[in-house]
Amino acid sequence: MDKYVLPKDNLSKFVSEMIGKYKVFAPVNDNNVTLFKQIKNPKEINLEFTNSKVPPKNLLFCQTETLFKFTPGTKGKIHPVDFDNGGRTVFGIRPCDAKSLAILDRVFKGDFEDPYYLTKRKNTILVGLSCTQPCLNCFCTSFNDSPASPEFVDILLTDIGDKYFVEVNSDKGKQLVKTMNKLFKSATEADGKKKKEVEKKAKDIITRFQKIDGITEKLDKIFENPFWETVANKCLGCGTCTYLCPTCHCFDIQDETTMTDGGRVRIWDTCMISEYTLQASGYNPRPARMNRVRNRVYHKYNYYPKNFEVIACVGCGRCIDSCPVNIDIIDVVTRAGEVKP
Amino acid sequence: MNNNPYQPWLATIDDIKEEVGGERAIKTFKLVFQDKNIQNNFTYLPGQCAMVSLLGKGECFFAISSSPTKKDYIEVSVMKLGKVTSALHECELGDVVGVRGPYGNYFDVKGWQGKNLVFIGGGIGQAPLRSLINYVVDNRRNYGKLDVIYGARSSKDLSYKQEFAELEKRKDVNVHLSVDVEEDGWKKFVGFVPTNLLRVKPSPKNTIAITCGPPIMIKFVIQNLEKLGFTEDQIFTTLEMRMKCGIGKCGRCNIGNLYVCKDGPVFSYKQLKSLQGER
Amino acid sequence: MVDEKQLRDAVKKTISRDDVKYVVGYEKGTSGFLVSPTFAFTPGDADKFIFSPLCVNNLAVYPMLEDKPPLRKGEEPDTRKIGLVVKGCDSRAIVQIIQEKGLKREDVVIIGIPCTGVIDPKKIKEKFPGQMKNVDVKEENEKFVITIDGKIHKISKDELLAEKCKHCEYPAPVLYDILIGKEIKSTKKEDYKEIEPLEKKSLEDKWDYWEKQFERCIRCYACRDACPLCYCKECMVDLLDPQWIRRSVNLSENTAWNLLRAFHLAGRCIGCGECERVCPMDLPLMKLNKKIEKDIKEMYDYTSGIDAEEKPLLAMFKPDDPEEFIL
Repeated sequence: MDKYVLPKDNLSKFVSEMIGKYKVFAPVNDNNVTLFKQIKNPKEINLEFTNSKVPPKNLLFCQTETLFKFTPGTKGKIHPVDFDNGGRTVFGIRPCDAKSLAILDRVFKGDFEDPYYLTKRKNTILVGLSCTQPCLNCFCTSFNDSPASPEFVDILLTDIGDKYFVEVNSDKGKQLVKTMNKLFKSATEADGKKKKEVEKKAKDIITRFQKIDGITEKLDKIFENPFWETVANKCLGCGTCTYLCPTCHCFDIQDETTMTDGGRVRIWDTCMISEYTLQASGYNPRPARMNRVRNRVYHKYNYYPKNFEVIACVGCGRCIDSCPVNIDIIDVVTRAGEVKP
Repeated sequence: MNNNPYQPWLATIDDIKEEVGGERAIKTFKLVFQDKNIQNNFTYLPGQCAMVSLLGKGECFFAISSSPTKKDYIEVSVMKLGKVTSALHECELGDVVGVRGPYGNYFDVKGWQGKNLVFIGGGIGQAPLRSLINYVVDNRRNYGKLDVIYGARSSKDLSYKQEFAELEKRKDVNVHLSVDVEEDGWKKFVGFVPTNLLRVKPSPKNTIAITCGPPIMIKFVIQNLEKLGFTEDQIFTTLEMRMKCGIGKCGRCNIGNLYVCKDGPVFSYKQLKSLQGER
Repeated sequence: MVDEKQLRDAVKKTISRDDVKYVVGYEKGTSGFLVSPTFAFTPGDADKFIFSPLCVNNLAVYPMLEDKPPLRKGEEPDTRKIGLVVKGCDSRAIVQIIQEKGLKREDVVIIGIPCTGVIDPKKIKEKFPGQMKNVDVKEENEKFVITIDGKIHKISKDELLAEKCKHCEYPAPVLYDILIGKEIKSTKKEDYKEIEPLEKKSLEDKWDYWEKQFERCIRCYACRDACPLCYCKECMVDLLDPQWIRRSVNLSENTAWNLLRAFHLAGRCIGCGECERVCPMDLPLMKLNKKIEKDIKEMYDYTSGIDAEEKPLLAMFKPDDPEEFIL
């Protein structure tokens, strides 16, 4: 892995050069809510954040995406949409969110490739930013991940004082640095050491821990356990946890029309509402909040790992931070592991 | 071929047969792809499904009810229930629909060669079985004894009446129709499908039983098949869930870690028993 | 201060009744300043019940969230009551639901708590970030007393008080079966000062303001699901045929949703502020609710959720109702 340093004074130049070449998405402050948005000027960036409210998955798996347009009716025609083939960079993505994209990749690849997600994914460079001040509910270390891990990004920047330590993790990253090599300097051993220190410090800030030893197998044995009722009693059945989850990928497909034209759109959906599985006959396989709360946990800790050999949670803590009734996935999963079958 | 799995091909409605009338009417739509190449390349096996849509109304996942031995068209049988199916029922000949697929797994028609087959269907659940039955009949000499057990609430609710009449004429297929309650002029069996199954009493020896229908019917059919000595790997069913994408991504049709659209819809009872999850 | 022993005894007594299914109250949350709704099914469960200025949730939402699966043959519906721990504002939600015949009075056992104001969770989290261990919070002499790692912080109530409490006219439950402590009277008056700046804006500026807010909405419907008065069996936003609001998330549909929500609560919102509290995108939803509440008070001299015997605003007519706005 190539290692450089980027003096802080050069950051703005680095971003500006990227803006000249790509669509650049970065964390911005929107009415005190941090969100990833396209920026036109490095000044728009807000680096004073732990994690964006909405995960940057929405840049690749958009909350609303037109799959194609059509002339509606029984004599209709289909008008395909153009795929945006332009280069993009996501600046400031956290290592946990970057991992979530690796998790989404497995869903959107497979026997049927999803061109909407994958086209954007292919054209996107992830410029990560290490998390030096993890939140109270951060728990990426429970999965042996690090808040300063370059594993899932193309380039990782880590704030080591007056400069950023830069780790280049892919060919995409190499290319990017190459085109702007004047801005970067080679890293010294001391810089590398400093990064390790920063990383250790960040890890030490994380105090919460989710026990996941053998959780997939344990869950197999407690599907029918009344434990799930006790977890779900207080659930309001809103979609906050799923919409803000960087690995949730459920969607709805709807036709939306005017008199003369229409589009088939895909919109984020949530397994927390009853309508999600309600069949036209009126039958619903997941009729109660218990079924739905359990499904969310199982999807991440049992179903997904069975299919793809990795837990579909990255420990970003968003669902804990935003749950109106304190359904806390660290607590729920840890306690589930202790339930006697 | 189209490499965007969400974008359907257009097909024209070439024929509409009303199978059942009334509030929950069933119609069979014969669909021909507008593009000849697509029609030729749309190869499927019994049990597989397709997403059929009306532009502006939305998409629904249907079992393909025609047999793959018919190359020039596909058929889907649709019960009028929700927004899309109601709109489909309003369609006329020559109208255009979107079709994508084929999706999901299929009945093991190759592996079942040389075996006796029992088909047990109820109501609209006959649609996927119809594909299989017609396929097997078109390849009659590859299979052993064939028993078709099918029932509905009343004779008016029986689908594919004409085809059953044709089947009944054949000496090499045994058809056992039933209605749930007695009615004037009905001379065949009166009672529920699982009861009719016990009466027909197929032998489990070298036999595969395939069932599809309302969940409550499937439950009792399986119980009765076990009574008759069928083992869990001799029993197959095909399931249904609410679906949006049909390709294992949108999330909602999972039973445990499997997606009905992609890993199903055909499951052996053995598989179902080992599968933990709501259905 | 609320006597927690008295509260737990009341919960125990209530759950011991044969005609009570469960009691909903508060327990300590999983970290810091969080409290969590909790359910008592047995008298033993009552021991975890707490009440402190951190108990912000409106638990009146729970009777309306009950899953009602279809009954099996021969199965009788469970008609047992639900016990609820409520503050003044929460009790108004129950009254309003009873007025609308969403609940019958006998469906609930109300354990009322005279409330002297709760803490805004966002404000306290900001003041003491990263607090993992559960924190004890009390109220003494118009100050919140917060004990963190043995250190006592006395903070003026105004600094941490939830917005909804600043002008609360009904701190004591308006309807209850058991009262924990003594009745209290409000010394406050709702003057709708917070919405004045918005009212003074030009129409154009108002649109501009709300568009900037609604743009962020992710349509998770937490505002609806946390609201005790949003209990329609079928919310029109979920309907597909006819489809009133598209599922696409964009400014136009988001605006439609948020306005529809606010208008559907006209004359019904009791001001508990849950919609705004639970909104992950921090939309100032109470500004909409409060503006409508103010207009209704001025036009009809009506306050929602006070008297269970009264009719809901939209179900009554008085000959002198203003009607200039009707074309």
